[in-house]
Amino acid sequence: MTALTSVPKRRRRSIIARVGWPRFLQEIGMLAPAVVLMTAFLITPFLLSFWTAMTNQPLVPRPTPVRFVGLNNFLRILSDDLFWTSLWNVTRFTLWVLPVQCGLAFVTALILNQKIPFRNVFRGMFFLPAITSMVVVCVIWGTLFQYPTGPLNHIVVSLSGGHIQPIDWLGDPNWAMVSIVLLSAWQAYGFQMIIYLAGMQGIPDELYDAARIDGAGAWGRFWHVTMPGLRPTHVFVLVITTIQAFKLYTQVAILTQGGPKSSTETVVHYMVRAGFEEQKLGYASAVSVILFLIVLVIALVQRRLMRRFDV
Amino acid sequence: MSDLALFSRKPTMSVNGYRVVQSISVFVIALVVISPLFMLFIASLKDDRFQILADMGSFRAFWVDNPTLSNFREVGNFAGELAFGRYLGNSLFILGSTVSLGLVINSMAGFILAWGSLPGRAVILSLIIALYVIPQESIIMPLLIIVSRAGLSDTFTAQILPFVASPLYTFLFYQFFAQLPKELYEAASIDGASIFRTWWSIFMPLSLPALATVSILMGIETWNQYLWPILITQTDYARPISVAIATFFGQDSIYWDRAMAASVLMMIPILVFYLAFQRWFISSFVGSAVKG
Repeated sequence: MTALTSVPKRRRRSIIARVGWPRFLQEIGMLAPAVVLMTAFLITPFLLSFWTAMTNQPLVPRPTPVRFVGLNNFLRILSDDLFWTSLWNVTRFTLWVLPVQCGLAFVTALILNQKIPFRNVFRGMFFLPAITSMVVVCVIWGTLFQYPTGPLNHIVVSLSGGHIQPIDWLGDPNWAMVSIVLLSAWQAYGFQMIIYLAGMQGIPDELYDAARIDGAGAWGRFWHVTMPGLRPTHVFVLVITTIQAFKLYTQVAILTQGGPKSSTETVVHYMVRAGFEEQKLGYASAVSVILFLIVLVIALVQRRLMRRFDV
Repeated sequence: MSDLALFSRKPTMSVNGYRVVQSISVFVIALVVISPLFMLFIASLKDDRFQILADMGSFRAFWVDNPTLSNFREVGNFAGELAFGRYLGNSLFILGSTVSLGLVINSMAGFILAWGSLPGRAVILSLIIALYVIPQESIIMPLLIIVSRAGLSDTFTAQILPFVASPLYTFLFYQFFAQLPKELYEAASIDGASIFRTWWSIFMPLSLPALATVSILMGIETWNQYLWPILITQTDYARPISVAIATFFGQDSIYWDRAMAASVLMMIPILVFYLAFQRWFISSFVGSAVKG
């Protein structure tokens, strides 16, 4: 009994007793800047977004007081066709960009994982777009997409022997999202490539040797050693690409402003338009809460999948 | 591969065929990846914006007869219109401040979480990991309220301070410090070094890999910021180069020559760093992904 009651007492004293005041204060002082800044600029806005989402908060303060509107913003969002269009567009974008970007990244990584000459030079080269700012990428692709005489149209027309008419890449509702997919995949695939490369290099050589001894050919080794070894990498790459895809904004804001005919409207662009251009911060916050929930669900699915492949 | 050749002919043939396919694919990918970037640099040296577009459809896109820096002279002002000198300076200032403050603040926090003796460190650590899931886009609207109510619109502070402390970078530092040997820490405390001293003089000098990783990731992230500065900057005063380049697209007829020169200006700092520290860049991005 006495031992039990004395334990918490000793513990409570021990922090200061063990390390002394100067050290205790130093530790607080070293941890505080990060904690304070994260609280101010991450936790507070995050919590605030749930509150603001239920008010009619404007961007610029007005004389009329801010009113609590309950779930009205959410109801209005869910009954706005443009919101559903934007959600459908980012889903469409994700479904197209996943195979293009991750497929390209995977194939490139497979090639670079072989002993080819100048391997590191190629790897460095292929990673270049990934460090190029999206704004610069938009300038580059903005010229490539020129209608009707841009380089891409030139290639399309001459490859098809004139059978295909020049495409209005960014101006045709049927093509605008395809163009955004092409440009986005080009910009970002280097990241997935190096993640795949790291995954492939993490597969022990002994497994390949064992497979070779068992008589597996190149195809067999790929199918029975490389692919199973890459399962966690696949999950990670797919999830990270999906989350990125759902946050699609910059290239759309610069090149198409969501058009033509809302064919490239995205959730983040919809949110920025409501909050910044229409000054309805409450409404925009409600969109941001929905965006957070989407990202959260994707992250939880990743957790679940990663645990299943016990990583 | 050579052991196959000793035993039979057929595998050698298919290996060679495989090699050819491989080389062709590498070449095609390199072409697709590099030619747009190369075109940007070439076009920025051409004077006539209509000629730039006309050249684009042919191999002339990769060649310039009379290279000129006139586009750069046109956009490289420090005041007035096309003040890309100023915008570039702004971006570099924001980059330098964010990264240097970020290195100090996140590494201090990571160090305390790994080696400090404060109660509740485990709770703070798991909270920080949980915070990592919040995307910047989803807090940006309330952040706009907080920052503008604090009177910080259109300032450098508004572009630096909110992004200095970050769950990811604190976690990366924590992870790095935690795997350093315990003896290091014990030796320092036996010598009577304060915890601050232990962090600064013992652990930091050993943390080059972590410092490089965080600098690179943070640097790229800061350099490429677009949404936040568009919301928070109204004048030239603190406008970064990314936002300034995007304004070219708002015009009826785009001055591609100037846009290209401005884009090259924006690429050069990153490119220089990348060419110098390529290996570090790639390992940093892999490192950022390791945590699940």
